[in-house]
Amino acid sequence: MRTRLLPLVALAAASALVLAGCTSGGGTATDDASATPVRGGTLTYATGDAEPTCLDPHVGGNYPQALVASQYLEELVSKDSHGDIIPWLATSWKQSDDGLSWTFTLKKGVKFTDGTPFDAAAVVANMNAVQDPKTLSSTGYLALGKVKKTVAVDTDTVRFELSQPDSDLLDSLTQPWLAIESPTALKRPMATNCVSPVGTGPFEVTKWVKQSAITMVRNPHYTSPVQDAAHTGEAYLSKIVWRFIPDSASRYAALQSGDVQVTDNAQPDELVAAAKGQTIKAIDAPRPGASDRIELNSSQAPFDDERVRQAFITGVDVNAGIKTLFFGTAKRSYSLLSSVEQDSYSDKALFTVNTAKAEKLLDAAGWSQKNSQGYRVKDGKQLTVRFPVSTNQSIPAERALFEQIQEQAKKLGFDVEISQLDLSSWYTALAKHQYELVDAPYTKVGPGVLDILYDSSGITPAPSGYFANNAQVDIPSLDATLRKAGQESDPSTRQDLYDQAQKTILEGYYVLPLYDQQNHFLYRTTVHGLRAFPSVSTPSLYDVWLSK
Amino acid sequence: MRAAARFVGVRLAGAVVVLWAVATLIFFAIRLVPGDPAQAILGGPGSDASKASLDLVRREYGLDKPLVVQYAVQLGRLATGDLGTSYSLKQSVASVLAAQVPPTLELAALSLIVAWLLAAGLAWWSSRSGRVAGAVGNALEVIASAVPHFLLASILIVVFSTQLNLLPPVSTGTAAGLVLPVVTLAIPVAGFLGQVTRDSLLDASAAPFALSARARGESANGVFARHLLRHAALPGLALSGWAFGSLLSGAVVVESVFARPGLGRTLLAAVTVRDVPLVTGVALVSALAYVVVVVLGDVAERALDPRGRAA
Repeated sequence: MRTRLLPLVALAAASALVLAGCTSGGGTATDDASATPVRGGTLTYATGDAEPTCLDPHVGGNYPQALVASQYLEELVSKDSHGDIIPWLATSWKQSDDGLSWTFTLKKGVKFTDGTPFDAAAVVANMNAVQDPKTLSSTGYLALGKVKKTVAVDTDTVRFELSQPDSDLLDSLTQPWLAIESPTALKRPMATNCVSPVGTGPFEVTKWVKQSAITMVRNPHYTSPVQDAAHTGEAYLSKIVWRFIPDSASRYAALQSGDVQVTDNAQPDELVAAAKGQTIKAIDAPRPGASDRIELNSSQAPFDDERVRQAFITGVDVNAGIKTLFFGTAKRSYSLLSSVEQDSYSDKALFTVNTAKAEKLLDAAGWSQKNSQGYRVKDGKQLTVRFPVSTNQSIPAERALFEQIQEQAKKLGFDVEISQLDLSSWYTALAKHQYELVDAPYTKVGPGVLDILYDSSGITPAPSGYFANNAQVDIPSLDATLRKAGQESDPSTRQDLYDQAQKTILEGYYVLPLYDQQNHFLYRTTVHGLRAFPSVSTPSLYDVWLSK
Repeated sequence: MRAAARFVGVRLAGAVVVLWAVATLIFFAIRLVPGDPAQAILGGPGSDASKASLDLVRREYGLDKPLVVQYAVQLGRLATGDLGTSYSLKQSVASVLAAQVPPTLELAALSLIVAWLLAAGLAWWSSRSGRVAGAVGNALEVIASAVPHFLLASILIVVFSTQLNLLPPVSTGTAAGLVLPVVTLAIPVAGFLGQVTRDSLLDASAAPFALSARARGESANGVFARHLLRHAALPGLALSGWAFGSLLSGAVVVESVFARPGLGRTLLAAVTVRDVPLVTGVALVSALAYVVVVVLGDVAERALDPRGRAA
């Protein structure tokens, strides 16, 4: 199935909205950083992400859950804006010499909103819950892969015992999927905990009307702000209404009209319109982990031939498309990792467009003949590459970019078959290896995401058919490097190892990096103190206050 | 009376067959589409489930059993009125529906009323204002019936919310928040009803009873209200069931665009995650509502048209 029209229509609609946005007038608002915060008020946040099926991010573990859980749950550690680990519910930590255990000292006097004290036993209960198959955890479960057990040493000390050293453990513990919940609340049936999770955060969940909104109110006994928060004590806002507005145009219209004050999943055209007006501002908070990239399936023809991979990657120019379709709101990436990752390694030179050389590479690889439609053929087979696209994980601008790549690749003689699929069908296409190109998001804090995405063990599908190594990179020396890096506790040695690994993958032309995973928030200028947590770039409403 | 009882009895039996067919169709259609429901239950962008969790889910939801067995189990449950538990929302389908049906019914019923008012108004205006008005009316109806909900909603939002700042772009739980969704749903249906109504209106206005009414000196409006509308409404009424069905399917788009809770949005979310019990539940409720509206339409038709009652 080839689809060209839909993205164009979407793009036309988006452009129309840009024009509409430009002509609509804005009110006035002041954004004075030195102003005194105002207490009270209700903030309406409109999310364009999916509505979580469970508000406890231990269950499952996806981004929509992380977004909202960041308001009522807290983690043992966090990251500051430099990417360094900072204390949160844990005040200090120490790794044993053999790397096989980590001991955390916990903040004292913290209580969950149901009155249960936060202590070592609570941490143990949480880690046990995540590791219990009955909890149906996926992201959190994977992150604790090397954790054998968690032990309460005393009330304020907890020890993680590992099966092998894990240089990624602290990074993992900054993620909302491993946030700490009230052990009392966790004992309730899953269905109950899913609608009313209990944490130590600045807000607590009071109501969830499905398909509509989650209501959260201020936690009056709040004492545990993260180290880099702007203030201490209770949150300024008295209430948050967390609305689900899936349609991006309606979300933006609601922001313009003032019905909501903050939105996520902002589209490129809206960012441009917002930049021109006075009432709406934007925060660019790229997600950590892997960059948004197209991976080439190296396990089967034609991309099992490195020359064909190189021809594809250096034969298509994606920069022009990114510039026009994203209106300058997305910066081209030449790295496997998000630009917010400290260990991100990039090599722009590898991606210099050279169509003449690409043509030669294809000729050399035996794809020298062209058929009547202009596609290359070899042994009677057309140079066709399948590109399943998950419509649930891709915005219209990105799908239009894929169409442009399709057009450019056609000039080289590639027949790129794009099929737009819902999430479940997309997973199935991947599991059945019915793809040569794929763009799959992966959000995880730290360079350890490389172990998940490019270690050859990631080729073996899970029982579900899902496997993370979509490029099907299978290089024993790379596996060894990644495993060494995963156990290395010296930061600079670790970085060298990860650089080496990234170099190997990029130079093998397995991946065409596009840009950071797009994560933009829009907010009205009456909103002050909004920021995104540096860990997984979810919004923090703790320091937020509203001016009139 | 006996004719009426038989009428209702036949309709009831028909309804049961329709519901069974819907349940069967949905069950197999959802399974024929590739995708592992267990993965969907646990998955989501960027997360892969452990084998232990998947096995547990398969056992818990009976997904490890052969398809025919699953179908039989599901049908057996449905026969006893048990709609099961939603895979994704982890609560009973009945309670999900109880919360999501009222907002959609409110939307659909209001839209149907507005659609009828629009259709009748346009018919009245164009039928008495000459040939040009007739052509304009016809063109408007064709455009209205063909315009996609999504486009219509976007235009209405840009005009009435962004530009004029008159109405909220998303539902706010107030009456003002209801206007745009209702109008979005009503316009295409009004266009369709209007086309059908006008055709029979033109037939009727040339019919002897209209001529004689006019000859007796009744005003044009009087003839329209007392004689023509009743006649012209018949084919439209017969189509009200269809119209209602179209409103329910339009609700999928409208509820998403205007961020309203309801059956349409629930269905969309449920299909995306292969939530078989929930999709089935929504489909059954929609089918039931459809059948009820068709029957009501027939009853109204019999009331308006004395010719049918003798048969």
